[in-house]
Amino acid sequence: MMNIFTTYSQTTGIVLDANNMPLNAVNIFLLDQNLLLFSNEDGQFITELDIPNSSYISFYKDGYSSKILKYKSGVELKIILEKLHIILDEVGVSDSYSELGNSRLINIEKKSLSSLNSISMVEDIAELSGVDMISSGLGIQKIVVRGLSGMRVVTYLNGMQINNQQWANDHGIGFTDLGLTEVELIKGASALKYGSEAIGGLLYFKDTPFTSSDKLKGFIFSGFNNSSYLSSSKFGIKWNKKRLYFNLYGQYSISSDYRLPNNTYLFNSRFQQNAIKFSLGYRYKNWQNIFRCQIHAEVSGIPGHVHEDPSEVDLIEITSSELSLSTDFKATRPTQFVKNQLFIYESNYMVNNFKVEFYAGHFINNLKEHEKWTRPSFDLNLSNTLLSPSLRYTSDKLSLQLGSQLIFQDNKNNINDRLVPDASSFNLGPYILIEYEKDNFGINSGVRYDYKRLTSDDQVLGLDYDNSFKSTSFSSGLYYRFIDHIFRITFSGAYRSPHVSELFSDGVHHGTSRYEIGNEQLDIEYANQIDFKYQWSTDHLGIIVNPFIQDISDFISLNLADSVISGYKVYNYMQYDKVEINGVEMNLHYHPHQLHNLHFEQSYSFLQAKNRYSEYGLALVPANSIKTKILFNFNDYERLSKYRFDYISVYHIYKFKQDSYAEYEELTDSYNVINFQLGLKFNSQFHCSLGLNNILNATYTPHISRLRGIAGGVPNPGRSLNINLKYEF
Amino acid sequence: MKEFNLLTVAALCLALAFTSCSKSDDCHECHVAYMNSSQQEVEVEIGEFCGTDLEDVEAPGYLHSIEETIVGMDTVPAGDYNVHCEEHAGH
Repeated sequence: MMNIFTTYSQTTGIVLDANNMPLNAVNIFLLDQNLLLFSNEDGQFITELDIPNSSYISFYKDGYSSKILKYKSGVELKIILEKLHIILDEVGVSDSYSELGNSRLINIEKKSLSSLNSISMVEDIAELSGVDMISSGLGIQKIVVRGLSGMRVVTYLNGMQINNQQWANDHGIGFTDLGLTEVELIKGASALKYGSEAIGGLLYFKDTPFTSSDKLKGFIFSGFNNSSYLSSSKFGIKWNKKRLYFNLYGQYSISSDYRLPNNTYLFNSRFQQNAIKFSLGYRYKNWQNIFRCQIHAEVSGIPGHVHEDPSEVDLIEITSSELSLSTDFKATRPTQFVKNQLFIYESNYMVNNFKVEFYAGHFINNLKEHEKWTRPSFDLNLSNTLLSPSLRYTSDKLSLQLGSQLIFQDNKNNINDRLVPDASSFNLGPYILIEYEKDNFGINSGVRYDYKRLTSDDQVLGLDYDNSFKSTSFSSGLYYRFIDHIFRITFSGAYRSPHVSELFSDGVHHGTSRYEIGNEQLDIEYANQIDFKYQWSTDHLGIIVNPFIQDISDFISLNLADSVISGYKVYNYMQYDKVEINGVEMNLHYHPHQLHNLHFEQSYSFLQAKNRYSEYGLALVPANSIKTKILFNFNDYERLSKYRFDYISVYHIYKFKQDSYAEYEELTDSYNVINFQLGLKFNSQFHCSLGLNNILNATYTPHISRLRGIAGGVPNPGRSLNINLKYEF
Repeated sequence: MKEFNLLTVAALCLALAFTSCSKSDDCHECHVAYMNSSQQEVEVEIGEFCGTDLEDVEAPGYLHSIEETIVGMDTVPAGDYNVHCEEHAGH
């Protein structure tokens, strides 16, 4: 049956559908080689590469079940992909590969970042159940997972931990979707391989893989949003010559102030972003090397700036009645200037069932916050170096992974004014992960030990601090499949040591309009989580129910003090003995038998955060929500597709009232937002998407908006139109 | 040759995209801020400052002296005040 044959190191295979008809344009992803191939019109694919034994290969085509197999030389490759009506969480319905681990055994969610109808990367990710965002317009946005954010949600970009002063709500994610293909998300404390500190969750962003092709491939993208006159341009190029692979991407985006539902403009919500990145890959037999470089620069205005109590100001004081296109794109004050540089070297060698990997990454973040024109309020350099060797052994049923992370971090102030001190840390984290699968049953278990030494010798602040934090993290999971029913349970525990901002802050933070005071006595916070996931799917209906409970002891939090310094309210860092976060996330996917192209998807996120030692709730906990998407695909309708229609979709989000809030927050009312999208396909290379966002022009401020406490809550953008064009060659 | 042309076009696009056409403005209107009895900010404009003058008024510890000034319904007493040169919404 199998069709593989190898000559001159060539590997070929064929991909068919259930009726033995060839499938073209199937994505054939050589996971361990980070290389993407495509099947031709006869369903065949070919590569000159030596593929080492036990390499994982993923086969994926939109609308079909994906498959993963372990390569074995000399065995024919004939892959059959079945037509799929429902794509529900990928797990169980189809195999999918995850950087974060075996997606059957760990609760990993994914979101494609290659969609053309995206408003912003973070807003796309926030469509997932249990995920929200803290934002002030499109400029500053960051992810919230199950009510936790900041240092508790760890971000990785191509294997490198991104540390960009993420402790503050006004410090965004630090990169864009440029050249990215997908993000993986683990909710809660189960991501052992990538660190113990991800109590809230871990996000892993992945670049698009290299492509094996004789021709130069690439794209040009242009997008426009009339809310803030946002203009974004991107390009990408992929090139391959024999063993050498090269990807190059660039982006330039500029935005003015965004328009509120009342047709005024939120002053200083403007931003600019530009980025350039490349990846260079070289393969020699079983040895692979990849070098990546990325430079990202961002200038973001900090809206809602006032000198008096922000909650007392009137909205009219921080908005403009009209936009001046000649001046309102320019940076004003206060403004953040962010420069991020990322360098990565990855190497792996495969022999028999072993894969040896070495990873080195260096990330430099420079953050300047200017309230004045001629001098920054603070100017910080944060450099982060990660070294990570690992060894993987795989057999038919067993997978064993040993590794360690060494992280060196240095926080250095470039001026005497400072909010956080000069500080350095060293983290060593060895781990071991075991996975076993047989038939419909799987089990995984892992343990990690972390040692972190944090020192601060800051002459300006007169600090001489030297402390070490150490603890063990663990995660264990069981998976069982019974006909169409899938059950998975994970129990995990992790810890987070206090951050320098929590220990030593002492000053005005203009981004948050607070005077923040740290606490040297803070110690480790511990979290334990039980996560259960049940999934059932048939051809036309799929359901997921995912209850969870997380218990965090010694929870570090900001608390409002009864004093004012320099006109700003004072907030102190302190620890709550016990915090409990529990909830349930549910997904429903339905499409009628008569109308396979119609998809109805709904997700429910219910979250409750209890602080056992306070009458108030926790800060920045998002309201419960119901998210609904109705999508109709025109592909099978010749009458409509001749008018270039590709798809049409309506997205609705309902946010419940949030009546559980911190002492310094307020109740937030419920609201509805509806977005509309129309996709056009002029030909196989040229695509367009038209979007009408906030159709009802609803006036709403999310509970976790960065601007919720200003002027009674600065609304999110009103009705707006966006158009995105992409040409691929 | 075609590949070369595409690369050239891409490189030119990139160079244009990263080239700024704007020149920096180094003169800015400044004001002192006075909190009235209702804890609302009252601004007293003190003129435009440029270059080293702007650096001086934004220097740490710099205080600007003003005479008693009436702004709308508020009377800002004479005294030494911190200077703010950042922009606020107002058009």
